[in-house]
Amino acid sequence: MVDTTKNTQIYETWGRNVAKPVNPNVAGKVITKAKRPLLVVASELLKDEKLVEKAIAIAKKGIPVAATGHSITALMDKGIDAKYINIHSLATFLGDARWSGLDGKGSYDTIVFLGHKKYYLNQVLAGLKNFTDLKTLCIERHYMQNSSLSFGNLKADVHFEALDELIDNL
Amino acid sequence: MTDIKTGQISIDDLENVQITIGKIVGAIEKKAKDEGVKVGPTPKPGISTLRSWDHKILSRYHPVYTPACDQCCYCTYGKCDLSGNKEGACGINMAAHNARETLLRVITGAAAHSAHGRHILHHLIDLYGNDKTIDMGPSNLLAPNTLAVTGIKPETLGDLEEVLDYVEEQITQLLATIQVGQEGGAIDFESKILHGGMLDHVGMEVSELAQVSSMQMPKSDPDTPLVEIGMGCIDASKPVLLVIGHNVAGVTYIMDYIHDHELDDKIEVAGLCCTAIDMTRYKVENGGKPRAKIVGTMAKELKMIRSGVADLIVVDEQCVRADVLDEAKKLSIPVIATNEKIMYGLPDRSADDPKDIIDDLASRKEDGALILDFHVLGQVGPELAIKMSKIRDEMGIKALPKEEDMQGLASKCIYCGACEMDCPDNLPIMEAMKAGVDSDLSKFEYLHDKCIACGRCDQACPKEIPILNLIEKASQKLIREEKGYVRAGRGQISDPEIREEGVNLVLGTTPGIIAMVGCSNYADGTRDYFKVADEMLKRNYIVVTSGCAAMDLGMYKNEEGETLYEKYPAKFLAGNLINVGSCVSNSHITGTAIKVAAIFAQRQVAGNYEEIADYIANRIGAVGVAWGAYSQKAVAIGSGCNRLGIPVVVGPHGSKYRRALIGKPYEEEEWKVYDARNGEQMPIPTSPEFMLTTVESVEELLPILAKNCIRPSDNNMGRMIKLTHYIELSQKYLGHMPYDWYNFVRTETDLPLAKREELLKILEKEHGWEIDWKRKKILSGPSMKSDVSAQPTNVKRLCKGEC
Ligand code: SF4
Ligand code: SF4
Ligand code: SF4
Repeated sequence: MVDTTKNTQIYETWGRNVAKPVNPNVAGKVITKAKRPLLVVASELLKDEKLVEKAIAIAKKGIPVAATGHSITALMDKGIDAKYINIHSLATFLGDARWSGLDGKGSYDTIVFLGHKKYYLNQVLAGLKNFTDLKTLCIERHYMQNSSLSFGNLKADVHFEALDELIDNL
Repeated sequence: MTDIKTGQISIDDLENVQITIGKIVGAIEKKAKDEGVKVGPTPKPGISTLRSWDHKILSRYHPVYTPACDQCCYCTYGKCDLSGNKEGACGINMAAHNARETLLRVITGAAAHSAHGRHILHHLIDLYGNDKTIDMGPSNLLAPNTLAVTGIKPETLGDLEEVLDYVEEQITQLLATIQVGQEGGAIDFESKILHGGMLDHVGMEVSELAQVSSMQMPKSDPDTPLVEIGMGCIDASKPVLLVIGHNVAGVTYIMDYIHDHELDDKIEVAGLCCTAIDMTRYKVENGGKPRAKIVGTMAKELKMIRSGVADLIVVDEQCVRADVLDEAKKLSIPVIATNEKIMYGLPDRSADDPKDIIDDLASRKEDGALILDFHVLGQVGPELAIKMSKIRDEMGIKALPKEEDMQGLASKCIYCGACEMDCPDNLPIMEAMKAGVDSDLSKFEYLHDKCIACGRCDQACPKEIPILNLIEKASQKLIREEKGYVRAGRGQISDPEIREEGVNLVLGTTPGIIAMVGCSNYADGTRDYFKVADEMLKRNYIVVTSGCAAMDLGMYKNEEGETLYEKYPAKFLAGNLINVGSCVSNSHITGTAIKVAAIFAQRQVAGNYEEIADYIANRIGAVGVAWGAYSQKAVAIGSGCNRLGIPVVVGPHGSKYRRALIGKPYEEEEWKVYDARNGEQMPIPTSPEFMLTTVESVEELLPILAKNCIRPSDNNMGRMIKLTHYIELSQKYLGHMPYDWYNFVRTETDLPLAKREELLKILEKEHGWEIDWKRKKILSGPSMKSDVSAQPTNVKRLCKGEC
């Protein structure tokens, strides 16, 4: 079992509310329990083929994917439900009860993030944290303090192991 | 009654008495009236005057806050934790506070530009007098922003004083609302942000009007010379005088001294940031040769200083690093500060004998000097640079680490990761260190283009490894090859050019204007920006650029080995690349849009801001991109574009501006305007989709640019061209047809010709549209009609029968 909660060092501060560190099995349960989870991936995914594989494996468990940046290029024709959207627009719509989601089936309750630029995602999360009730879960290599739940800071190999364990728990 | 005019008068009976009349209250308005300039409903708008227009923009483009901090520390009631949109002790909530924070940035930027304008205006009035004529080239509409906002049609430098009086007064009014216990509504902070942005463009325009008119800069000239750019083009064998900043006033004295003393070939004058751009515009009107080279943007500042190539550094104002003096001192480079905004604690030597100053700095008795007298500066600068060049040669200054020391330095690394965590782009520094231990420097070299030379990694490293210097040393070969060309800033777009191209823009047959502006805080290197310009120019968009963006576009070459400036001409026509000039020249970009409304559509400009903005919003397919925007000035410029209805995209670092304005395409009611012919509501395409947003990568950006050039006024040919680019760019960079392309189709003639049949099939099959296959016509489906004579407007009072 990988412990992904040890290193939660923060390099820039936003405020006193910071993400609760989670282990992969708990993260897996959070996703499984969600009524309408959404996996949001971004272009950093494309820098590592392995990361793409993990994202696809999560999506194959029946989780819809919002592909931000140009990450969609690695996710087409993979038998998953992935759709391109700009992340700033997505974050705006996620907080709006009138938005019917990427598939018209309604809004989401648990948003999972993978493959983002750290500083960019933290800003997006700052918006979600302060203006919505959404549960956000970051399964990134970096501790994302503005998320509700997050892995800690991880080495690349530990990160992959953690993602595998999470996938096993879905 | 005789009207008193400005100027000097003598009274016959009183010998030696001369009275100078400076300003006469209402004189400009009276002049406007006498000249038949009709002034519209909102000259010199106050904070609330254009509020209803702002609220119209904001009802479609929703403010979205991504706080950079959960707390507020503005007053001693706090710090207050506002997380979860809580209220602080004064009652302000997170949303309003974030809007307030953005407003503060916007007026800081506007103040920087207008204070720059005030400085250079006073300087030029001192030199040439109040009556110096404003000359921007072959145009009647010389000051579009100024005229639209203030109703003033300035003709002389003296006329600009009143314009700046207005801007400064309004900035003070806006600043007052930051005080605790003032505004509490986010929506009204938003309106104030737009007001601040509008003022910024007037402040910038004043700077430009003054300097272009008085400094023999190019005036609407598409054939300005090509200027060398890049660290690699600096001849380090000569004395190098490096100038950093934005205000060219002081350095012109240095350039004149060099020229007058026939030192042009003996000394290398190079600049960083916008002063560099304006140095290369100075006296190049009518075929003059540029008298300076451009090193590059702020991202090159620390790299250039640490290269040790400069023998003297002269700073003026804006975008100058706070540690220039400390960094320069380490390499025995004297620093001269020339502007009150940056004085670094240096002794004021303005009134001293130039020879004494040179002796004190050359002997290193002093590290630098403050010289506010430009005549003194003009002499000290070149002479000191020449002297220091010899002295520094003799000292054998070694700036970057030696080749043989690189491995040792890399092996000091303990792989703690602190540098990567502090690096704004989390660059892979540890990988480079690892490879460096094995004497493989390629991974450091890889970092060179991505690194913005902020120096944070150096500060973070517990082992005191000079990380940035390692990157630079490893990249020496690349740096030597960093040579490109930028076309010198041409100034504004002339009235005749607008007459020629306006129709294509409004009907969409020129697919759009992409204004590539801003600074160098890129998310994934500088080359990205070149890629965007190259792609859009190939597709016949007009690319307008300025400031640091203009520099970066000249740093790279295409497949044929040409820079974009060599390849593309600089006329205001489709497929042209136009460098308007420096940061303050951004006013020409909004000015161009105003000119289209005024000249092509014959709209009244003076004091008629709302109608002009409404025209631009509905008809001019222009999108601003500030891919590396970092400063307060950049967000001020963006906000000014937004008030005129021009959308702006920033790169991912722009999310730290903490606010965006984003539309909701699924809210049909929000995408309607009036048809001014009858006041009836009409649906409009969901473009622009935002007024201000962030985008993650250039691959995502390119289709977004194409899509957001779509406007209600496009004719069928125009819409077809725009849609073609949107579809092609989505396919090329995102690998698929955009999911919303059909929303922009009004009739079959809007469809890209080559794909018409295929797209009709998709419309029938996937969207249930009815198609007459015999005539290949759409029978039903589109949510809006194609009607080129429609008059889309957001403003009810502009509809027939309303006023
Ligand atoms: S201004 Fe208001 S929110 Fe800010 S510290 Fe003071 S009381 Fe708190
Ligand atoms: S100097 Fe370059 S590598 Fe160092 S922190 Fe700044 S951007 Fe990163
Ligand atoms: S901060 Fe210094 S010691 Fe730590 S990883 Fe970076 S270079 Fe190595």
